Amino acid sequence: MKAVILAAGEGKRLRPYTETLPKVMLPIVNKPILEYVLDAVSKSGIDEIIVVVGYKKEVILEYFKDYKKAKITYVEQDKQLGTAHALLQAKKQLKDSFIVLAGDNIIDQESISKLINDESKYNILIKKHPHPSKYGVVFLEKNKLKEIVEKPKEEMGNFISTGIYKLPKTVFKIIDDLASQGVYALSTIIQSLVDQNQEINTIIAKSWMDIVYPWDLIKVNEKMIHEYSSSISGTIEKGVTIKGDVFVGKDTTIYSGCYIVGPVVIGQGCEIGPNTCIFPSTTIGDNSVINPFSLIQNSIIMNEVHIGSHSRFINSIIGRGTIIEEHFSSITGTPTVEIEGEFKKLKNMGVMIGDDCNIKSHVVIDSGKIIGRNCKIDSMKKIIDNIPSNSKVM
Amino acid sequence: MCGIIGYNGFRNADNVLIEGLKRLEYRGYDSAGIGVIGKNLKVFKEVGEISKLEKDIPKLDGTIGIGHTRWATHGGVNKENAHPHLSGNKKIAIIHNGIIENFKKLRENLEKQGVKFQSQTDTEVIAHLIEKSYTGNIQDAVVSALKKIQGSYALLVISSDEPDKIIGARKESPLVIGVGDNENFLASDIPALLKYTNRVVYLDDGEICVLEKNNIKIFNDKNREIKKEENLIKWDFKDAEKSGFSHFMLKEIYDQPDTVHKVFLGRVSEIERTIKFPDKVENLIENINSISIVACGTSYYSGLVGKYFIEKYTDLPVNVELSSEYRYFGSKNKDSLVVCISQSGETADTLAALKEAKNSGCKTLVITNAIGSTATRVADAYILTQSGPEIGVAATKTFTSQILVLFLLSLKLALIDNMIGADRLYDYILHLKELSRKVRQVLERNQEIIDVAKKLVDSNSIFFIGRGINFPISLEGALKLKEISYLHAEGFAAGELKHGPFALLTKNTPVVAIITNDSTYDKMIANIGEVKARGPQVIAIADENDNEIEKHADFVLRFPNNSSALSCIPISVILQLLAYHVANLKGCSIDKPRNLAKSVTVE
Repeated sequence: MKAVILAAGEGKRLRPYTETLPKVMLPIVNKPILEYVLDAVSKSGIDEIIVVVGYKKEVILEYFKDYKKAKITYVEQDKQLGTAHALLQAKKQLKDSFIVLAGDNIIDQESISKLINDESKYNILIKKHPHPSKYGVVFLEKNKLKEIVEKPKEEMGNFISTGIYKLPKTVFKIIDDLASQGVYALSTIIQSLVDQNQEINTIIAKSWMDIVYPWDLIKVNEKMIHEYSSSISGTIEKGVTIKGDVFVGKDTTIYSGCYIVGPVVIGQGCEIGPNTCIFPSTTIGDNSVINPFSLIQNSIIMNEVHIGSHSRFINSIIGRGTIIEEHFSSITGTPTVEIEGEFKKLKNMGVMIGDDCNIKSHVVIDSGKIIGRNCKIDSMKKIIDNIPSNSKVM
Repeated sequence: MCGIIGYNGFRNADNVLIEGLKRLEYRGYDSAGIGVIGKNLKVFKEVGEISKLEKDIPKLDGTIGIGHTRWATHGGVNKENAHPHLSGNKKIAIIHNGIIENFKKLRENLEKQGVKFQSQTDTEVIAHLIEKSYTGNIQDAVVSALKKIQGSYALLVISSDEPDKIIGARKESPLVIGVGDNENFLASDIPALLKYTNRVVYLDDGEICVLEKNNIKIFNDKNREIKKEENLIKWDFKDAEKSGFSHFMLKEIYDQPDTVHKVFLGRVSEIERTIKFPDKVENLIENINSISIVACGTSYYSGLVGKYFIEKYTDLPVNVELSSEYRYFGSKNKDSLVVCISQSGETADTLAALKEAKNSGCKTLVITNAIGSTATRVADAYILTQSGPEIGVAATKTFTSQILVLFLLSLKLALIDNMIGADRLYDYILHLKELSRKVRQVLERNQEIIDVAKKLVDSNSIFFIGRGINFPISLEGALKLKEISYLHAEGFAAGELKHGPFALLTKNTPVVAIITNDSTYDKMIANIGEVKARGPQVIAIADENDNEIEKHADFVLRFPNNSSALSCIPISVILQLLAYHVANLKGCSIDKPRNLAKSVTVE
């Protein structure tokens, strides 16, 4: 059986991080979300995967050029019209039954195996969710799908669709049909199948995680970091204290006097210390440098980040290639953030800094603030608002 | 210059050979052929690319065979001249990469003895010589034939009288053995083998091997059996595939944020403020009074950039020479360091120059991407660019990596001579560390480059100009365009334009001007003005913080702000993408441009 993974979307709500990366390539514990999906799919015995790419496709092609666990074929979706339209791009590659998944949701291998091995022709993975109204809410009758309601205005139901299906090749007849009428959402296609009395079996997924807003990255990161076990490559100098599960990549040097409490994952080619403290559940990407006397806790530091001495990051995210000079401080608090016209209260939130920023020394940023990509902030600034991408704070 | 492969094992030889030839196609692709021993020896050849051979070939039974993809040196491109070549009795087949210098004389002698030749190639001579020497042992026959020939070769021989072995021989052309289980391989280059094995043995000049299914014997030039070490190759087969990109060249351009980092890996420490090279290199560069950089093509241009770095940071005089010239005419001072640059480490011109320098007592250092290549074994020491395999014929990622190796080398030399202190070094290291992000930012602006490429497609001729370090970068920009888009392009030092080339400027000769915010800025603006006055459109490649340039140029491509000389790296990436998109819009064969081959192993 083949699998189709939809990876063409942009993920606007995850800006600024998705300004340079497609959503599926956002890192969770130093691995793109898509890699978790590919790994789970290939482990469940599927050896040919069709990945539908579109937005910033080169990033995906380049990253997975060495992927060995399964054969990947890429097809392109020029315009991101909808999930069914994306699936349509893979039609030529498919001969019989297949599974289709979203590349931006983390899913476990066991659930996929269940889906594949179930004998029903049509199968959908569903999941209980505390806030179902943000998703396609599903209603069941004896394990069979009765109705999908896409993002209802009021809270209803318990289960949501994970967007993961097993489908027969014949489904393309209906997709082609409805696409010609301008219907491009896979859930609408499924609903119309139900309307035609097609039986669709439901299976409850074991673990399924969605990332909607930037702060979700920290939550999901915290959960997934437990899947890593201790492993130390690179050089650890004398006088470094390591407790708990700590992973250190090759060609990384941890200098004397560092204190690291796991779970912590540090990538390759990094230099950390001397005398730097890293607390749970932090991940540091490849080729990053953390200078002396800095403190990092429950944060995501992406690739090629430079952090100056005496800096402090708690519950924060720093994008790729960002350079932060000494004495940086992020304030941790309980901010209320406005997102898409809604107000949301966040707990224990630090800052979210985009890719390629240059932040000079002694800068303080208030909790919950989002600094766009490629921003320049002069020294001794106090930032109390969000900063849009490509800004200069003088 | 050709690609060769041999297989002896349990699989269908024809499939293995064609698969291998596809991966050697970068070495030549005007014709191809394979020979397989089943019930008897059968040979099939075709003019054109490997895909054509694959389509037309009948099923050849047998589990031992040889295959060849040709880049013509002696004799035109036709079926007769394609390899394998057969002896008169049709029992011996041979494939060959290299040039036999005394072939005319040998051919005349053989013709006097009544031998009828089927082709115009130098290779066929060897087939007949082997047949003449054959007295029941093919290995002895090959040894005695090789004694008569002068020139370079990597060759494979099979004979239907001894259908269990392949004889391989090498002199000044590359040949590696791939070691498998119950099967063994021979090939010009490693990617051809990677699908089947990552265990290889490198043959050296003058060595001969006898390859059986379960046994490999290697003999030195005195015909004494020797033992050689097996090497494990750490790249994998996938590395050599396009992985979804439309061309290897594009994939390799997009590889650069990564390969830039790989150059520093294990060499640069930001916290310790050090640059480290292997001890052999560090000892070699300690007491030198001058440097000669010797290379061809793109590597020559990276050498010109290196000269600029070394002369800027140290007091050492540097001259940069073309390998093919240096070999005969270059000065070979004993206290000077000769730095040879070759992506493959097999470039014949550069190898010849390297040997010449070594024999004259110079210290020799090689910068290459291929560990175990001939150059690394000849030179006193080597520095690897660590870029992974490069398949596209037009060099991209290895160019930027070569420049960075030279930059590190110049800093190291400056440290040795106390020209810079730890603090200056720290600044440079920070600049280096930023490069990966700057290259990434250039790639993110790909669409703007496509838009400019559309304006260039219909030009007859394109000029590239720059000053200082941007002069060699202009040369490289023009070379990239020539290589893959077949457009006429020239690079000039911006100040030289008025001393002649001005005469060529018309409305249809757009000029690409590289302009950086340094002491040459005002002069470049003046040069752009001079060009504009004569009608051509000007495409400026300028710093993102340059607010003036729009007033002077018709189109502007931006590189991320960088005060250091290292801006040449993102600029190079812009020029690579520009060349790529022009070629792509013209529908050219980007990975295999006409008449060119990846590593040029003929002189």
